[in-house]
Amino acid sequence: MTKASRWKDSSLGVVGVLGLLAVWEALTRSGAVNPVIFPPPTAAVAGALAKVPPRDLWEHVSTSLLRILWGFGVGAGLGILVGIASGWYRTLGALTQPVIDLIRPIPPLAWIPMAIIWFGLGEPSKVFVIFLGAFFPVVTNAYKGMTGVDPILLRAAQTMGLSGPRLLLQVAIPAAMPDIATGLRVGWGLSFGVLVAAELIAADAGMGFMIMHARQSGEIGVIIFGIILIGVTNLLTDYGIGEVIRRKVGRWHAT
Amino acid sequence: MKRSGATSPEGAPRSRGPALAAPRLLGAAFVAGLVLLWQAASLAGVLKPFYFPPPSRLALAFWELAWEGFPEGVRIGTHILITLARIGQGYLLAVGVAIPLGILIGRSSVLDRLSLPIITFARSVATLSLLPLVIVWFGVGELSKVLLIAYGCFWVMLTNVIAGVKYIDPLLIRAAQTLDTSPAGIFARVVLPAALPRMFAGARVALGVGFMVIVGAEMIGTIQGLGALIMEARTYYRTDISVVGMVAIGLFGFGISVGLERLERVLLPWHRGLESVRR
Repeated sequence: MTKASRWKDSSLGVVGVLGLLAVWEALTRSGAVNPVIFPPPTAAVAGALAKVPPRDLWEHVSTSLLRILWGFGVGAGLGILVGIASGWYRTLGALTQPVIDLIRPIPPLAWIPMAIIWFGLGEPSKVFVIFLGAFFPVVTNAYKGMTGVDPILLRAAQTMGLSGPRLLLQVAIPAAMPDIATGLRVGWGLSFGVLVAAELIAADAGMGFMIMHARQSGEIGVIIFGIILIGVTNLLTDYGIGEVIRRKVGRWHAT
Repeated sequence: MKRSGATSPEGAPRSRGPALAAPRLLGAAFVAGLVLLWQAASLAGVLKPFYFPPPSRLALAFWELAWEGFPEGVRIGTHILITLARIGQGYLLAVGVAIPLGILIGRSSVLDRLSLPIITFARSVATLSLLPLVIVWFGVGELSKVLLIAYGCFWVMLTNVIAGVKYIDPLLIRAAQTLDTSPAGIFARVVLPAALPRMFAGARVALGVGFMVIVGAEMIGTIQGLGALIMEARTYYRTDISVVGMVAIGLFGFGISVGLERLERVLLPWHRGLESVRR
């Protein structure tokens, strides 16, 4: 795509976003929609910033991000390890895959009661639920990537004398990287999706807590602001991960 | 991976195919062994039944759910039906709107570029973060739950419909034009068949999202539904009931997803090859 056409693409996108915001603002300002129930965007942001001081806001964002980083970090790390090992050693895969396939369909949120019973109401139970959200997409994709490595690639490397750990590290894992990367991104998105529910568990900080708390005090502006904040944080971090993956994995990716 | 492995989409035998029976057996034996170990550890007092309810306890809990119900009088069938009805309504609403809208956007490059950032952002919004908002707007009743599920399913479905329509091989369309096919004919006989596999993929992912969102949606204002059952049981310290609920929702999510996959293979035999492309 040329630079000019990409610029044109995003400029049309900006028009779309601005148009949507303008319609929302106009509808609520004109009174067609009750502004108390559905505040105009400017009022929502201004009201939220007035109600939640920047320092609290930062605390909510950083608390949530820390939980996600822990849950995702452990989940993705373990997922990559188990997925690669199961894909490489057939026997191990034959053992782990049925167990994973059995547990995976249980939605992460359904674990919340057991998470509370196992880990109490503190941080570990929230991190555990986020961990589940990250682990399953990563382990499934890593396994799929490993078992999908072109056998010709492996045989060619073997012909050239590669074997054992070097075959795994230098040929198989790089070939599985695109799938692992996909798993990481799906897992990151799911971690965010699970976050809010995880923060329903007796939290006293975090973005999910912020909006749930705002519901009790009836501050719709804060709720809307919080929803947008969670969305933007998700979008920015996902973009960041995508860029890192593109740079690190891109050289293996054929397309 | 899931395919039996006899033939790949191209019809060539896959190297991994024939030796599949043995690992399957091994896996099944391993799972059975784990379950037995779990039961034994519980009997021996190594695993506390409250923290890790053993299979025997789960069977009893299931029996109780099936006959007496939990909370009293609400049987497991009711929970399952209510959950499935909520997912079904939200899902159908989402898919019903997403398909025509997605086709419209996918066929028009202006609409596509106008809506891209909005769709990208709306997808990034965590569905459950809308929970407090829908409660304020629509109360804690059925509508809120259905709308939450619809929201979660909608954007996944929409992006897949758009992608399906947008990324059609232009050669196919040009070939049809060369054959003097009318625009309506091109749409019905080229665009739609080529886009359907992607739509089906979207429909499957969207259903998964629905099963994920329902548990969160049922945390509020209801004692009926599998999500509510799982949460309610905790407040009564009935972990065995919670686990039965988890297993039930996992089974249904899995079963329906497999069913959709089968349906796709029956309905869209011309695009089996996409399975390998979609990796």
